[in-house]
Amino acid sequence: MISVDQETPTSSLAQAPVSTLPLETQLKQALEHIAELEARDALKTQFLANISHDLRTPLTAVITHAEILRDGILGPLSDRQLDSISGIINGGRQLLAQVGEILKYARGAANQLTITWTEFQLGDVIAQQGTLNESLASKKGVTLETDVPADLEPVSADREKVGHIIGNLLGNAIDFTSNGGRVWVRVTRGQGPDGPECVIEVGDTGIGIDPAHHELVFREFAQVDSSASRQHHGTGLGLTIARKLVELHGGRIWLESALGAGSRFYFTIPHPAR
Amino acid sequence: MNAALPHVLVAEDNPLVCDAMRVLFGETGHRVSTAGHVAEIVDIAESDPVDLLLLDLGLADGDGFDVLDQLRALKVPPRVTVALTGRDEPDIVARCLAAGCEAVLLKPVPARELLDRAGSWLATD
Repeated sequence: MISVDQETPTSSLAQAPVSTLPLETQLKQALEHIAELEARDALKTQFLANISHDLRTPLTAVITHAEILRDGILGPLSDRQLDSISGIINGGRQLLAQVGEILKYARGAANQLTITWTEFQLGDVIAQQGTLNESLASKKGVTLETDVPADLEPVSADREKVGHIIGNLLGNAIDFTSNGGRVWVRVTRGQGPDGPECVIEVGDTGIGIDPAHHELVFREFAQVDSSASRQHHGTGLGLTIARKLVELHGGRIWLESALGAGSRFYFTIPHPAR
Repeated sequence: MNAALPHVLVAEDNPLVCDAMRVLFGETGHRVSTAGHVAEIVDIAESDPVDLLLLDLGLADGDGFDVLDQLRALKVPPRVTVALTGRDEPDIVARCLAAGCEAVLLKPVPARELLDRAGSWLATD
């Protein structure tokens, strides 16, 4: 059973006693307080960017040495030794992905993420992400399906970042779906508030999310179950980054889900008619 | 060292990564030098022509672009230069390619892939 044990954020301003100072002074104090908080937030973001960059370097050494052994460059290994080395590499690569996620978040928070617009077939990116996630799905006994209209026109977006969004949603969907379940990616044409768009749906038949927690899942560092015994691990940044990347494209992201009823995450990419 | 083997210079200021690259290339038929300071990198390249320069952008006393500028000025450019970096922002990638890098690879590149690609780069003139 999942539960929310994240503390409700409170504002020190909201808790401050009623002041008798003139309004102008109170406003000045509040603005100074905001400026200080913004400066601290910027420091935190810079720290995250620095630490994640610095963590990559020793990880590079660990992974490369392990791959040298695995690939037999220093001589042949027994099957048991190979298994053990593969464990080091997989652990290192997983850690590296999490470090990369923190770096991407930090860049997003500092508005340093830029979109490189190109035209590409959405179906190609979905197929690529499907291939990348195939072994994870098959290990869990989860069926992976894709449904993209064959006549869909190319989209104009940042291919790498769209791949990142789909990869993140797919990874979550597989992670939260148990043996015998289904995960799918479906693309449809839609009409958004600003015109035609592509709607990308990543759905699953997994454990689902209580509607009360739908906004929480997009919040930075938040996990629906943040207890030490939680079954699903990660930085708690994946969906925050996904939302940032979708918004940079001028799109929207949301979910439909209920406990025990699976989840369907949707995001849009503006897709003007030609 | 066997002078007939291709010379790989690893320009990297982290000794752990240097060690890993030294083993990877040293055990697979290359002569390997490593250095983390701009002046040291340039000295090595001047005294022993470099076939493949694996260049980190953040060095102890400057950046990889300083190295490329100096090697070009001294007319001892490596046969092939590849940026091996922790940064893959589009503007950095574009700057590396404009500075003459054959490729820009995000660390860590899988060991076997790096060896295979090095083989292709060194096979072309």
